[in-house]
Amino acid sequence: MNRLTNTLENLKNKSEKALVAYLVAGDPDIETTLELMMMLVDSGVDIIEIGVPFTDPIAEGPIIQKAHDRALKNNVTLKSIFEMAQKYRENDNKTPLVLMGYLNTFIFNKTLIEDNKNNVIDSVLVVDIPGELNLRDYGVYNPNINTISLISPTTKKDRIKSIAKNSSGFVYYVTLRGVTGASNLDVNEISNNVEEIKKHASVPTLAGFGIKSPEDAKLLSQHSDGVIIGSSIVQMIEEGSQSKEFDRIRTYITDIKKAIS
Amino acid sequence: MKSDNINLPDKNGFFGEYGGKFVPETLMYALEELETTYEKLKNNNEFKKQFYKDLSEFVGRPSPLYFAERLTKHYGTGSIWLKREDLNHTGAHKINNTIGQILLAKYMGKKRIIAETGAGQHGVATATVAARLGLECHIYMGSEDVQRQSLNVYRIKLLGAQVHSVDSGSATLKDALNEALRDWVTNVDDTYYIIGSVTGPHPYPMIVRDFNSVVGEELISQSKELFNSMPDAIVACVGGGSNAMGAFYPFIKFNETRLIGVEAGGEGVETGEHAAPLNDGKPGVLHGALSYLMQDDSGQVKGTKSVSAGLDYPGVGPEHSWLKDSGRAEYVAVSDDAALKAFHDVSELEGIIPALETAHAFAYLDILMKEFDKNSNIIVNVSGRGDKDINTVANIDGIKI
Ligand SMILES: Cc1ncc(COP(=O)(O)O)c(C=O)c1O
Repeated sequence: MNRLTNTLENLKNKSEKALVAYLVAGDPDIETTLELMMMLVDSGVDIIEIGVPFTDPIAEGPIIQKAHDRALKNNVTLKSIFEMAQKYRENDNKTPLVLMGYLNTFIFNKTLIEDNKNNVIDSVLVVDIPGELNLRDYGVYNPNINTISLISPTTKKDRIKSIAKNSSGFVYYVTLRGVTGASNLDVNEISNNVEEIKKHASVPTLAGFGIKSPEDAKLLSQHSDGVIIGSSIVQMIEEGSQSKEFDRIRTYITDIKKAIS
Repeated sequence: MKSDNINLPDKNGFFGEYGGKFVPETLMYALEELETTYEKLKNNNEFKKQFYKDLSEFVGRPSPLYFAERLTKHYGTGSIWLKREDLNHTGAHKINNTIGQILLAKYMGKKRIIAETGAGQHGVATATVAARLGLECHIYMGSEDVQRQSLNVYRIKLLGAQVHSVDSGSATLKDALNEALRDWVTNVDDTYYIIGSVTGPHPYPMIVRDFNSVVGEELISQSKELFNSMPDAIVACVGGGSNAMGAFYPFIKFNETRLIGVEAGGEGVETGEHAAPLNDGKPGVLHGALSYLMQDDSGQVKGTKSVSAGLDYPGVGPEHSWLKDSGRAEYVAVSDDAALKAFHDVSELEGIIPALETAHAFAYLDILMKEFDKNSNIIVNVSGRGDKDINTVANIDGIKI
């Protein structure tokens, strides 16, 4: 069974919320990304979302944009990300790895997704396609990789239904109108929409975008099956990349984990 | 592919395989809302009346089709006619589209207007129509373009709009579009995004084309009146492709008229340093549409190079990709140097200082006019005037103003 499906099922059986951490592959470099991934899992992260850098990441706020730029300066490609995942799997064959990126990268490198050598990647999330479509609609298909769809606060009810049915792995509920790292969470709206999604989805619904503090995480985990943290981690990676001191991230993740338990 | 098929895009926004709607989910609702509004209004008589009234009284349409006597003599082959979009209020074709889209915004009750701009002409045109309706207006512009089009930056400010200088990526038009899309995702409920070319997700390429088609429609009747036939060729520069599409679209069904788009060849297409995706790109997805795109061998969007800010864009409107593949239109490129030479030549020969973008279309006449005889009629779409480029050209020529 797919690692993502497996992990989410186990969490559900234990009545636990999922903690997903996002970082950009190759920021500040591939070696460090590998170390950071191990550390994140060590500190309590259940699922890792690997940002695939793109020149024009229109859904990202300034923090993650800069991380994409740094990774691109290091010539990180989807090919090198698959190689990185391969290395990661030598030490951890359990944690689900989700690729999050933009359509052009995936259709351009179609064969990498279709091959998915040694099954290292479990899921792909494409930011810039409508929710009811997935990579298969663009001629990229691998039955062992599931495709996560996004639903946002502006998604209308009739579409929530078809998107929720289409998503595999989990449904990604974008908690706000805006880019990653923004801070205009509306808990009422989130709770209503997630409730609506859960009526139709056979997979869990996780909430992401704009979750920063353990308090945010706690609040949102009460209305969803788990939370996704991105910009805060990426910012700490940026700040620690000179000294290679990332202990703050460990503390931060531990606190978040506690808050949602 | 039949070239007489002009009922495109299809209902999903595709021109053949190009186009579509590749945006974050948050924008899907806004695009649907826009599409519904446009479908409702486009055949509404009140709406059409208002659109043409504004074009006539505020923009000064129709723009003349002018016989370029000395340019014609210079080449000594066919007659060269100039479609004078440079005479429009604000100085370029860009105003045609903004006049139409601001009416949509007003109808939809949007309070806040945003736009991206490269050369600043679309920024000026947007700020102009927003001022006219008293709407809050924000213009995104790459920081490199803020410098090289400083005159237009000041014009935008005079019109009461705010200019946001964008430093990310290559700090040009592509990055201004990224930033405008991010603004839209954030403020989607009360904001109308006026895209400035036939680019972006469906329904934008269709809407911008339709509003700009007033140019081609006028050309049909002006051609009949002035030389009593359809033109043998229409030449237009292509950045995103809105001035070209507006001139080409009504002519797609007239197979006797060659449609020729001129891209920015920068330092030369063969050097890779250019902005000519139709000449040297591969299909890819950028800013919501699948179209020819300049990309590297791992699928990243490549940086562009052009002396002209308005053509300095790695993508192109999806309908042009379709016209290229179907063979109905031809796409060529001319270098910075050729465009600069044409800029000077046309100024001196015709008393018209063209925009650097437009100068690309003129530069191609050097090659094109050899293919025609004395009885032919060639139209150049003069997309805009060159006042905004005076500083750039003076700099290149080593002159301090
Ligand atoms: C005068 C002029 N011509 C052409 C263009 C290029 O745009 P498009 O290809 O959409 O006509 C611009 C863009 O700024 C412009 O200002």
